[in-house]
Amino acid sequence: MALLLVGFVLVAVGVIWRRTYGVAQSRELAQLDRRRLDLLAQRTRLESDIRDLSSRARLAPIAEQRLRMHVPNDSQVVILGATRAPAAGASGGRP
Amino acid sequence: MAGRSAARLRRRLDRLGIVHGALALFAVGLVGKAGKEQLWRGAYWSRVAERQHYLADSLPAPRGEILDAAGETLVESRELVQLKVAPREVKSRPALAAALRKAGVANDWVKRATDVKRAWVELPGRFLPSDVARVVAMRGVYAAPALERVTSGTTGMRRVVGRVGPDGTPLDGIELALDSVLRGERGTTTVLRDARGRSFESPSAQGTAPRPGNTVVLTINHALQGICESALDDAVSRMGADGGDVVVMDPHTGEVLAMATHRADPRSTAATALSEPYEPGSTLKPFVAAKLLELKRARADEVVNTHNGTLVLDGRTINDAEPEPTMTLAEVIMKSSNIGIVQFAQRLSPREEFEALRDIGLGAPTGVPYPAEAAGTLREPKRWSRTSPASMAMGYEIAVTPLQLVTAYASIANGGELLEPALVKEVRSPEGKVVYRHERRVVRRVMPEAIAKQVRGMLVETVAKGTAVDADLTNYEVAGKTGTARRTSGGKGYEAHHYTASFVGLFPSEDPQYVILVKLDNPSATIFGGKAAAPVSKVVLEAAIAARDAALDRSSLAAHVRVRPSPESAAAARKPLAPISAPNETAAVATKDTDAGPPRSAYVVSLGAAKPAAVAAAPAPARPVPDVRGLPLRSAARALHEAGFHVSLAGSGDGTAPAAGTMLRAGSTVRLFHPRTAD
Repeated sequence: MALLLVGFVLVAVGVIWRRTYGVAQSRELAQLDRRRLDLLAQRTRLESDIRDLSSRARLAPIAEQRLRMHVPNDSQVVILGATRAPAAGASGGRP
Repeated sequence: MAGRSAARLRRRLDRLGIVHGALALFAVGLVGKAGKEQLWRGAYWSRVAERQHYLADSLPAPRGEILDAAGETLVESRELVQLKVAPREVKSRPALAAALRKAGVANDWVKRATDVKRAWVELPGRFLPSDVARVVAMRGVYAAPALERVTSGTTGMRRVVGRVGPDGTPLDGIELALDSVLRGERGTTTVLRDARGRSFESPSAQGTAPRPGNTVVLTINHALQGICESALDDAVSRMGADGGDVVVMDPHTGEVLAMATHRADPRSTAATALSEPYEPGSTLKPFVAAKLLELKRARADEVVNTHNGTLVLDGRTINDAEPEPTMTLAEVIMKSSNIGIVQFAQRLSPREEFEALRDIGLGAPTGVPYPAEAAGTLREPKRWSRTSPASMAMGYEIAVTPLQLVTAYASIANGGELLEPALVKEVRSPEGKVVYRHERRVVRRVMPEAIAKQVRGMLVETVAKGTAVDADLTNYEVAGKTGTARRTSGGKGYEAHHYTASFVGLFPSEDPQYVILVKLDNPSATIFGGKAAAPVSKVVLEAAIAARDAALDRSSLAAHVRVRPSPESAAAARKPLAPISAPNETAAVATKDTDAGPPRSAYVVSLGAAKPAAVAAAPAPARPVPDVRGLPLRSAARALHEAGFHVSLAGSGDGTAPAAGTMLRAGSTVRLFHPRTAD
């Protein structure tokens, strides 16, 4: 009878421990998932900020005012046909 | 005595017996009840327990992304949390108030969330899960996942893609039109609840994952969109206009490449190029001319009496800005003569004139996926007045959206086919599979190819010698037509000094890659389309030519460089000892190269005379011309630029003129001979 009681208590403790451990693991999992979502949300915002900051609307005025650059007119743009790259060692000028 | 005590004992035993009996009955009842609940109603209680411990929940599906034609992300979703508070369940209201304030919740909402008179408070806004982790751990606070749309790009692009409300409901734009495509399917999950009512995911929970929405790829090119918006904003401010629109379309595919809008009213959120019709004025004249030519009612060189700039017709006086006694049909278009086009249009019946305008797509929505697209106004001939045919020929009594007009001009550009305009290039499933791809769709042929070419020729003359000279480029031929139309206001008829200045251009005139429409509402600096709108087109085209990716086919463009010296190069060529080849020559060389080389093209930006005033004022010091012999063309050009010289290509050969070592002032032009490439 005593053995039966001890056995019952052990099984009950085991079940409770398993459930407690499972719940703790679930909590940790939920926390990690929250963290993952958090990081993803931050990444999305940062990528959007990068796109906005590297956009033409943002850079063109800075290039014009700070670097004194300007948009060339059409006659200042020359479209060159792609030429073959010279062989290695052939770009050192004439002998 | 003994009898009395025996009787007392008996009574006591009776009472104990009753108590024991009652207890025994209670125990039997308890065991019986437990047995009944466990054995007979066990399944029922299991279900109740499950209901209390597990909660079925739905998971929001990430809304699909919206990309531009080059694959740049314009709109995407991110998952945040929304907070809901049951103030009566909160244990420590001061602690909650402090935590909410720390998370950035406004004070009045903090007060509401801790007001016990309220049963339920949904806080506005979305929060990063980590920012509100402390708040969410408190009793009485409930967090629900909520998606937020993150929009990049310019304001004009936002008008096109539209908005999504805080509850995830699309409000306008592409978001609303393609909601079923972008929305995705919600998932399901089961969460575990502890004794305090807090929920967390159960590892053994069953559920279905949410399916993200499809990705929509627009036809709009973000680089070109940026160029258009910047040029438009600048023009609106310079011209003192109330607002304006710029639309650029690829006339061969019908794809809308850019759609810029400027409105002073902050409540305006729509892409007005699709939603606000206007009277197009003279930009409609080429279509009347095309119909006349097609029906052989007029020839391009046929002359009409233009009455020295004033004609009274049906009691109404029609004037020309440039009075002439007579004009040919080509000159009527070139000089935008109202009298001329009215005289010619009288050769068309009202039905023919109506059909000419209806066939180019006016008076009906184009069908792009945009909820607020307007149809414009084109009345049936039976509702026309006596003066309507003349008004229509001049572009009045008719309202068109900028997109409709651009689509109509695209038919002139592509040889006479009216195309269905497109805003959506592609739709991709979450797995990356293309589920829809835009294909060129011809609505109808609106004019024969020969007539389209003839009208294009008239538009070339308009830019070269007519009302649109300010749209002309140095190295490329542009075709186009200006419009200056009076504006109505609030149903009160035409208002004095209120005009719409517009220009529609084809670039380049041969095999156009862009059809560009510029419209300025009520400009105050000048009212004329040729002066207010045409220069904006030029600014856009110049920037697009210089941009890395503005949806231009450079190989094809190089073939259309024209031989015409620029004023700067012509002036430079007159100077002795400063041999500068005109840009047309360099362009001709470039064309030859393009023909000989592979289709891939590079471009070099040669900085010209336009230098900052402060720099130009100081005389540049002389420096030696570097030795670039043997270098590849691009490296040689770069070396010369780095040395401070301008470069012009001067045919095949080797080295430079002046030769290496010659002392020249910085900013001088050096002719660069390019080496023959061995194939």
